[in-house]
Amino acid sequence: MKKKLGVLLALFVLIGMVLTACGDEKSTAKNGEDGETYEIKWYTVGTPQPDTEKVFEEVNTYIKDKINATVEMTQIDWGDWDQKSQVMINSGEPFDIIFTNGTDYIQNAQKGAFIAIDDMLDDEGKDLKDTINPTLLEGIKVNGKIYGVPSNKEAARQTVYTFNKRLVEKYDFDISKVSKLEDLEPMLKVIKENEPSITPMATFNAYLPYDYIFNHEMPFAIPFEGDTDKVINHFESDLTMETYKTMHEYFNAGYLKQDAATSKDSWPMDVENWFVRMGDSQPYADLLWSRAAKYDVVSVPAEQPVTINDSVSGAIQAISATSDNPEKAMEFLNLLNTDPYLRNLVDKGIEDVHYTKNEDDVIQDLPARIERYNVPTYSLGNHFILYLYENDPKDKWDKFQDFNESATEAPTLGFHFNSDPVRTELAAITNISNEFYPALATGSVDPEEYLPKYNEKLKDAGLDKVLQEIQKQFDEWKSKQ
Amino acid sequence: MRKKYRDPQHLHPFVNKIITVLLGILAIACIFPFIYVVIISLTSEETIVKNGFQLIPEAWSGEAYQYLWSMKGQLFRSYGVTIFVTVVGTAISVLMITFYAYAISRPQFKYRRFFTMFAFFTMLFSGGLVPMYIVVTQFLELKDTVWALILPLTMNAFYIIIMRTFFMKSVSESILESARIDGASEWRIFFQIIFPLSLPGIATIALFSTLGYWNDWFQALLYINDPDLVPLQSLLMKIESNLEFMRENMDVANMQQSLFSTIPQESAKMAMVVIATLPIAVSYPFFQKYFISGLTIGGVKE
Repeated sequence: MKKKLGVLLALFVLIGMVLTACGDEKSTAKNGEDGETYEIKWYTVGTPQPDTEKVFEEVNTYIKDKINATVEMTQIDWGDWDQKSQVMINSGEPFDIIFTNGTDYIQNAQKGAFIAIDDMLDDEGKDLKDTINPTLLEGIKVNGKIYGVPSNKEAARQTVYTFNKRLVEKYDFDISKVSKLEDLEPMLKVIKENEPSITPMATFNAYLPYDYIFNHEMPFAIPFEGDTDKVINHFESDLTMETYKTMHEYFNAGYLKQDAATSKDSWPMDVENWFVRMGDSQPYADLLWSRAAKYDVVSVPAEQPVTINDSVSGAIQAISATSDNPEKAMEFLNLLNTDPYLRNLVDKGIEDVHYTKNEDDVIQDLPARIERYNVPTYSLGNHFILYLYENDPKDKWDKFQDFNESATEAPTLGFHFNSDPVRTELAAITNISNEFYPALATGSVDPEEYLPKYNEKLKDAGLDKVLQEIQKQFDEWKSKQ
Repeated sequence: MRKKYRDPQHLHPFVNKIITVLLGILAIACIFPFIYVVIISLTSEETIVKNGFQLIPEAWSGEAYQYLWSMKGQLFRSYGVTIFVTVVGTAISVLMITFYAYAISRPQFKYRRFFTMFAFFTMLFSGGLVPMYIVVTQFLELKDTVWALILPLTMNAFYIIIMRTFFMKSVSESILESARIDGASEWRIFFQIIFPLSLPGIATIALFSTLGYWNDWFQALLYINDPDLVPLQSLLMKIESNLEFMRENMDVANMQQSLFSTIPQESAKMAMVVIATLPIAVSYPFFQKYFISGLTIGGVKE
């Protein structure tokens, strides 16, 4: 038996060696350094489009002269993206550029899956660095280094209450006075009494003015105002209690659906069955939403624009550590984000095939753009050099600029907690939060009873230890700023 | 009072009735979800949004099937891929599994213990997703080929063990011996004696394989980017997970609504389930034939 196991092991080792040998041979090929054209492999999110090949033929003839490279863009469908991109990264597959965002970006950057581009930004990416909003680059730093090119668009988040305009006008509500949850009460009451087919509130989690270390469900936050040096459990604050009490009153009054805590209903805009909802805004968002809904909506802010980690890392194109030629990839990203022709070609397709343009550089989609080349604008790059549509306001990009400049920086912008030391505690806390948060935030249960219960359970699960660890890392990070 | 004569082969009529009713309920429970899916696929979308799923919907509509017809290019393409993968995959898979299982079922084969171990080992320890992915994409370079949908599923240690036991139990050594005496080669023995004698076992494996290939979407998720190579189930899965993504990312969805305008609604999803399930349900009876005939085999008296 021992002998046989030995043979088995030897066989495995042998196979392994043969296979790795094959692998090495391949990776040294086509480096593109001795004047040869380098092919950049680019993976990004979105449903694969029939005309991608056609568009990228144009792209390639254009960029071949400029940077002596060609690009092969592969789109991975929305729902497949998380799993597929993660396997690709973990397996060390060779490619050059990949889309990433949010916590995926942070984790992969910490793991070393991406190349830090700080030096390249002063060289190949100089033009890019000059045009991009510096807050974005600052905000996505992981351990002091930049690991990707964020899409230059809105850098801040502004949560808003959005109203169904038809109903607002019908009952002559004054929504300009709304700024917090409590202000909604009289309107909800009228709607509930007079509009039986309308659910007064589309299900949402009550807004709380905190900067979250992980996300809104986890009990670790720093207030936007007041003591911004101390990490707290915001579920212990009076403000949270008051807000959830209000939410619970609304729930009891039937302003929300009774299955709010468990429902997965997404409340699509084009179904007119709601009166008020919450969402993240950007300049002229009402216009976009009204177009999506096919009826008018109107919003009022629930907070001032604030730049947080999530809002700066919403869309990033990162260069993979497995890239054979990161400089070429950077040159391409630089061109994509600074050259209006290339950016619009990649985003809108080919002129007169996918869109038409008039002399003022204002465009209109042709059916082919929707049917054959419909790519997600937000993920691809710089928005400020995109052509405007006929029904876009002329000052759209100026408004974006103003929006970004008006935003305040959140206390944790650029701070990324390393959760390794408290992994067990965090797992337990996540479970508890999954249990309590949805019920509390939608007002489905009485906060007077359940909020203290929630906090007690959190304490038992090791909340204080995690808070201390976060505080420690936060202080360290702060002292280096 | 005279006792009624009762045939011991038959159940008491009352018991019979109870069992019939119980089995009937079970059968309905099995088939009901599918009927429900068919009903939903024929419900108008508006009614679903307004009333949710209903057994007898307010308004019927064939718009879901019209929608599917409008995407027939992709649908037929995916159908083709699924059928090709299922047929070719099942053939290759059955051949490889029976070859392997037959070899390790024969006592004359010197290394049978080693190769049994070799297969069995993979049932206890698997390399996991990432090594598998590396092998398929980087060493075998199967990414975006139809073979990536076939080859990773061909061998299955569990089926090998089942077949090995089946060969050992159902094919007596004396039959093979008589064949050898008559001068049959190993190939001839395998294809003309073993194969027909083991049809029930092979049909079982073939059915499992067919189902496995037909229902597989995970290989496509991992290895296929080319829309021309997406099998039916993967197409269905994509629609489902895209809907899920849309739900979780309403901000993206609402900002660029045209992006998701092509994702079908609930009824179309169900229509697709109907279309994806029917052929495989139809193929069941073909296999069933072998299960019954298998019981009548018996060629050796000892």
